[in-house]
Amino acid sequence: MSLVAAARTCRAVHSTATPLAAAGAHVQTRGYATPAKPAKKTASKFKSNKKSKEDKKRAPRDAGLFRPMSVNNLTHPVFQSEQRMQLQLPLFRPEAITPTAATQALAFPQDESKALKAYGLPTNILVDYLLLSKPCSVVREATVTVLDQLDQAAGSSSKDTRVVFTGKPGCGKSYLLLQAVQYAIQKQWISLYIPRAINLVNSSTAYAYDPRTQTYGQPAFAQQLLKRFVDVNEALVRPLTVQESYPFDERSIGSGAPFLDLISVGLEYQHQAPTVLSALLDELAKQTQYPVLLAIDDFQALYCTSAYRDPFFKTIKAYHLTLPRMLLEFASGKRAFARGAVFGALSSQNTVYRPPLELIEALGLEPDRPSNPYVRREAELIEYAQGLKNFPVPERLTVDEAASIFDVWHQVKALHIPRGDEMFLAKYTEAGGNAREFVKKGLLQTIAM
Amino acid sequence: MHILGVTLPDNQLVKRALTNFYGIGTKTASRLCARVQIHDTARIRHLNQGQITALTAFLSSPANSPPVQVQPLAPPNFVPPPLAQPLPQVQQAQQPPPVDRLREIKIETDLRRQMRENIAHQRMIGSYVGRRHAMHLPVRGQNTQSNARTARKLNRIERYN
Repeated sequence: MSLVAAARTCRAVHSTATPLAAAGAHVQTRGYATPAKPAKKTASKFKSNKKSKEDKKRAPRDAGLFRPMSVNNLTHPVFQSEQRMQLQLPLFRPEAITPTAATQALAFPQDESKALKAYGLPTNILVDYLLLSKPCSVVREATVTVLDQLDQAAGSSSKDTRVVFTGKPGCGKSYLLLQAVQYAIQKQWISLYIPRAINLVNSSTAYAYDPRTQTYGQPAFAQQLLKRFVDVNEALVRPLTVQESYPFDERSIGSGAPFLDLISVGLEYQHQAPTVLSALLDELAKQTQYPVLLAIDDFQALYCTSAYRDPFFKTIKAYHLTLPRMLLEFASGKRAFARGAVFGALSSQNTVYRPPLELIEALGLEPDRPSNPYVRREAELIEYAQGLKNFPVPERLTVDEAASIFDVWHQVKALHIPRGDEMFLAKYTEAGGNAREFVKKGLLQTIAM
Repeated sequence: MHILGVTLPDNQLVKRALTNFYGIGTKTASRLCARVQIHDTARIRHLNQGQITALTAFLSSPANSPPVQVQPLAPPNFVPPPLAQPLPQVQQAQQPPPVDRLREIKIETDLRRQMRENIAHQRMIGSYVGRRHAMHLPVRGQNTQSNARTARKLNRIERYN
């Protein structure tokens, strides 16, 4: 047989092997003389083996894990509401904070005070509030004590009330400071809150030498801080007037001019912003109409060596930067508000900026490094740390406080664990009562995909 | 942005972008930023005109750049003079200012010329180093029985053009 004929018969054999007889397969038996009929054109039934193999090996493209189920399938109570429920919590108000209200979770009011949005938040608190639908916090016994202290400080100079919150990592120092700031704002205090003082010393913002103060100012940071100050305190500051005159190059502010005029110079001319901020704090120190709260988180960063360098590449201490120096002067009592307080909170998040020995000893904490008389201590830091009072934040949440936190996270429907005592006590015990470990490593770790 | 013919990408950190100059590495770039008071996280697009001018002026001729003024730092309990008062004259520091090593650096064409001259000098005095450059062989005593590829490719009298 010729090759062509052989090919044709082969094709015919293949086609008879398939069950698709209707495709027009036909067996061609050919006598010697009959002419070859042209093969009918049929669709090729050639199926490569590769395709079927691939199909067998590959798992379904989408297991259905990330496709939204139709609403009819969502019968479990967890899915009853499509959107997350709004947290229904009582508001954080001075009247609501009594010793009996301790261990309750209260939400910060968002409409009236712009403080949370204007001043910003420490990173760990911000991350929490991204997950919760409302900024809130639990009132603890420590909160009630701190707010009592704040009330007592309203009449006296800030030199008498310079408190630093200390404690183990995750015990709630930043939250306590935030509660103090919120309380002060609601009680008609003028507030200046710096949530991340590390940004003043880690060389993340522009700096420029000022020959008048012989320090390095940070104009962009100062301008932003002035803007935030105005956002929060405008209503209180509007009737106040300046007691001294400030003849800037661009505009002269005479004595008796409103505060907002002085601030507007800093907002308009960035290079004058550090000077304006310093002048503003001086004026706030003199006025007696409103008490002033200066609150600094990451307080220990003000006592460290900054990451900035001078033109000869020598390191610059934080107290040679204008803004940290200003804050240190108020913290040490060299400058003081006529009415008000200075609150600081240590933070252990950043290991580059750790509290130096001088600060640890001034606060009466246990040093974690050699502290014998032969260790060098800086006289300037000792001066800037004198008179600071240590407020140790309790390292353990009480069971009731932890229960309130547990409730809050459940209300937000963030957890996939049952709302029961066993689970709660298990997580509480694992964390040892530490607030951050309870939330981050206890509760949020249960959301495992 | 372009400075002296070198492109500095806008979104790059300044202390990294300055290493695009021939003769400036990470150390010199950091010192240069400190000299002009540029912070660590500044990017090229954040620079203002004064800083760009200062950088360009320095890089065009480091040896002829004006020496850096000593900036005295506030002693403890320093009270700054009021705004109205003119600034007091800066007293000469008791100690001499630290050595300014940045004025000794060479970059770009100057550096290449210096290296070319060094090699040419070695050749002119007939030294071993000069001969090895001329023969396109390793100069510093490396093996030649094997592994002299880079030297054969790159070692020339007119190497740094």
